[in-house]
Amino acid sequence: MPAAEVNTKEQSSKKLQQSNPDYDPNIVVEAQNLSKIYHDFWGRQKVRALKALDLEVRKGEVFGLLGPNGSGKSTTIKLLLGLLFPTSGRALVFGKDASEVTKNEKIGYLPEESYLYRFLTAEETLDFYGRLFDMPAKVRKERAAELIEKVGLTWAKRRQLREYSKGMVRRIGLAQALINDPELILLDEPTSGLDPLGTREMKDMIIELKEQGKTVVMCSHLLADVQDVCDRIAILYQGELKELGRVDSLLKVSDETQVRFDNVPESAHAEIRAVIEKHGGNIISMENPKTTLEELFLSIVRESSERPGHRSDRAAN
Amino acid sequence: MSDSQFYENQFLKLSEWFPGAVGVFGPLMLALILMGVVFGYLVAAFRHGAGEGFYIVAQTVGGFFPDWLRMSPRRVWAIARLAIKEAFRRRVVMVTFGLFALAILFGGWFMNSNSDHPDRIYVNFVAFGTQMLVLFMGILVASFSLPDDIKNKTIYTVVTKPVRASEIVVGRIVGFTAIGTALLTLMGIVSFVFVWGGLTHTHQIVGENQSIASFEDIDPTTRLNQLGRRVSNGAIKTFQTTMDDGHRHTGELIEDIRDADSPPMDASNVVSKEVLPNGQIKYRRVIVDLAAGHTHGVKVSGDGDNATITLGPARGFFRARVPYYSDSLAFFEYTGARKEGGVDVGRELNRQGFFDGGTPWLPNTLSRAEFDFSGIVESRFEDPNLVVLEMNLGVFRTTKANIQKRVLGSWQIESVPENPEEGRVVSERFTFESQEYQTQLMPIKRKIVGQKTDESGNFEPSAEFDLFDDYAKNGKLKLVLRCEDPNQYLGAARADVYFRSADQPYAWNFFKSYLGIWAQMLVIISLGVAFSTFLNAPVTIVMTAVTMLVGFNTEFIREMLSPDHVGGGPLESFYRIVTQNSMVLELDPGIGSTLLEKSDQLLVQMLASLTYIAPNFSIFNFSESLIYGYDISLDRLGVAFITAFAFFIGFSILGYFSLKTREIAK
Ligand SMILES: Nc1ncnc2c1ncn2[C@@H]1O[C@H](COP(=O)(O)OP(=O)(O)OP(=O)(O)O)[C@@H](O)[C@H]1O
Ligand SMILES: [Mg+2]
Repeated sequence: MPAAEVNTKEQSSKKLQQSNPDYDPNIVVEAQNLSKIYHDFWGRQKVRALKALDLEVRKGEVFGLLGPNGSGKSTTIKLLLGLLFPTSGRALVFGKDASEVTKNEKIGYLPEESYLYRFLTAEETLDFYGRLFDMPAKVRKERAAELIEKVGLTWAKRRQLREYSKGMVRRIGLAQALINDPELILLDEPTSGLDPLGTREMKDMIIELKEQGKTVVMCSHLLADVQDVCDRIAILYQGELKELGRVDSLLKVSDETQVRFDNVPESAHAEIRAVIEKHGGNIISMENPKTTLEELFLSIVRESSERPGHRSDRAAN
Repeated sequence: MSDSQFYENQFLKLSEWFPGAVGVFGPLMLALILMGVVFGYLVAAFRHGAGEGFYIVAQTVGGFFPDWLRMSPRRVWAIARLAIKEAFRRRVVMVTFGLFALAILFGGWFMNSNSDHPDRIYVNFVAFGTQMLVLFMGILVASFSLPDDIKNKTIYTVVTKPVRASEIVVGRIVGFTAIGTALLTLMGIVSFVFVWGGLTHTHQIVGENQSIASFEDIDPTTRLNQLGRRVSNGAIKTFQTTMDDGHRHTGELIEDIRDADSPPMDASNVVSKEVLPNGQIKYRRVIVDLAAGHTHGVKVSGDGDNATITLGPARGFFRARVPYYSDSLAFFEYTGARKEGGVDVGRELNRQGFFDGGTPWLPNTLSRAEFDFSGIVESRFEDPNLVVLEMNLGVFRTTKANIQKRVLGSWQIESVPENPEEGRVVSERFTFESQEYQTQLMPIKRKIVGQKTDESGNFEPSAEFDLFDDYAKNGKLKLVLRCEDPNQYLGAARADVYFRSADQPYAWNFFKSYLGIWAQMLVIISLGVAFSTFLNAPVTIVMTAVTMLVGFNTEFIREMLSPDHVGGGPLESFYRIVTQNSMVLELDPGIGSTLLEKSDQLLVQMLASLTYIAPNFSIFNFSESLIYGYDISLDRLGVAFITAFAFFIGFSILGYFSLKTREIAK
């Protein structure tokens, strides 16, 4: 990146600090009592998509929004981007109100479906979005080539997106989200439509972004993805926040111990059982570990539909 | 478009118009913005509560200046480029040009009629066709773009970039205007070639050879030419040309005796010249009669009966006359008292005011028309030694006089001193035969015989005075027109009598008239894009088209509001047309007709209020000037451009606010 650009970025973050005294540069995203009610044409209330959401995303972390279909994940992301206006509460990004355009300088967004112009080629697409960041021609060109290479579409870069498969469009969608080398990346179901290899690459990319010190907010209902890459997660159910915390601590069940070993013959299993039984323990299972997040998720959903309202604060941050 | 509006626009002066326009536009903008803020607050307060609503409005208003001042040309151009690509993809542009090409191809078949003014038909056809096609293309591309972007959600990936709402709106307008400009340029070039090629022609003389020898003698008893029309007084031979482009001309060899110091204006057609004993000169000249709105120049080579005659290109087409209009026109009746609008001759639809020639019993009528000119200076005329006065006079005859004879009029000029006590210079009266339904050219020599008044107002003896140094010493000049035939009337309006300067190149005038279409296109595209920020595509198309039609008919709609309007409003007129009811009869009273009238009143009322918001398109419409062969003044061009840009800015701001306050992902 040219020095001049680094400079403007520093300047703009300095300006932010001056304009907002509460601004903590370590908090990238902040939702304060954020609510959204969708109204119909006549102003009648239709759906309460998000109810009083409070959360903070810190600089450098990968944050996951989890929840079943229609739980308000996309709504939250759209509120953070200013695509929707909150019914009440505030959405702050880099300490600025979500409706400010200037915050977009440092944001990358991958929508739930890639809403791109189908009559443009991959190169033209990236060039167009590069122009929207006011990038000079040379920078645009380099950056576009680099990203097309990165998402593995060099072989199809001169083809119009209308000819692309779903996964290919998804990849170019990711490339456009990264065109400005953003500080904050918002990914709405990043792995949807990707093949296993693509999913793997996407996850690697997210981890790579984290290593570069970027902040990632992603939402998904693919628990394995979330579990693999996220530092912290929030679980939404029908617009309500049900869980919020570090993935490892959320998944730690304190009265259970899981033992994993290898290179032990089958014959030794009986011995191990005997040892546990000798200590009064009770073997729950003895197999390869499961995606336990799935269990947590399902139990939350089950519990919430039985007893609406906030869950007890069982998870420590 | 209303005739009177067109008429008024002729005299537009940028310097006079501008302060008035700012006076209207400024407060209007302010009022609109204020209304927008109040309305915005009400909506926001209703949606989000009073406090939050205030916050939202304050934020929107506060964001206005950064959003406009920090616009990035690169981003605007990126949006514009995308808009261009998108419009091409929709094939609207191709279809528009295809329709135009078809019209030109097949239109040519119907054009070559032997009408009085084929040039007007040609130019009207291309100018009107181009205007309509370009404007409808503008409406289509502008209306679909944003609504489709929102529907396909492609806008999500755009507005989440550092793009300002102002850039999205302005970029689109710029992009569509760029396409329109390219299309208009192409259509303009094709149109010009079509008109030029369609009207350029020449003829040959019918007969054995192309010389005087082929001319025919005139039958002295009838004095009619080959087409059965009377020949002019000095004619000694006549001829006829071949039929080309659907018409033929007749022509004459005329004998013309002139003073030595006033040779004919056009010397190219002189066949022979003979000095008479009294010092006068007898010219023999070949003149081609007017047909289909034009004549032809003549080239003579050799002399005597063997002189070969070649007809040149058409004269009278492709003109861009530059008129100097008077600042004011006043009529006086026979008593000499001033009379607004001239004598009433019962021709209400005519804009002209009339003045009479008295009666045989009251010959010394004081009835006259006075035109006051200013800025009459030497440098404004092509040839200051021979200034051309041009008149399109109306004639109203009464049966008390000879109906066949041409009506006599006279002109006279007077100085208009700043200080009334200073002596005036008044010229003699010069009589002329009025040429009805034709433009009359009156060459005025620089030295004109007249009389000066002394301090007490008495006339000094006649002498020659200079047009510029004496009559128009301070640039001001009064021209007085009188009717010299008893029982007859002459009529004139301000636009009918003017001095002429050198013509402007026709191609330049053609270009300027297309700039007028361009300005209309800019307004329509801005309007369409603004509407499309809050309406869906079909509604945007309808609303833009309605606003455009209202803009085209501003005067007409306002006229319908006037109490003495005949035939009722649109619904009533439609009813009358369907039932073939006369426009002037009262409808049968009853619930039906009352309902019709009431709903008409409402409709007209609504349309009329729209006329104050929609641009008055007559400001941009230059095609009449082009068609009638008048130069489009830079003043009018300036007014049109400033107006168009004002609307562009106004509609962009409207679009900006509506996009900014809109929830994109709703
Ligand atoms: N434009 C809209 N108008 C009305 N209701 C909407 C709109 N968009 C979303 N909703 C409603 O809001 C709720 C939350 O939707 P949202 O898209 O945020 O869910 P999500 O968590 O992203 O679901 P998914 O996993 O299916 O993407 C749903 O009940 C949905 O029906
Ligand atoms: Mg979603």
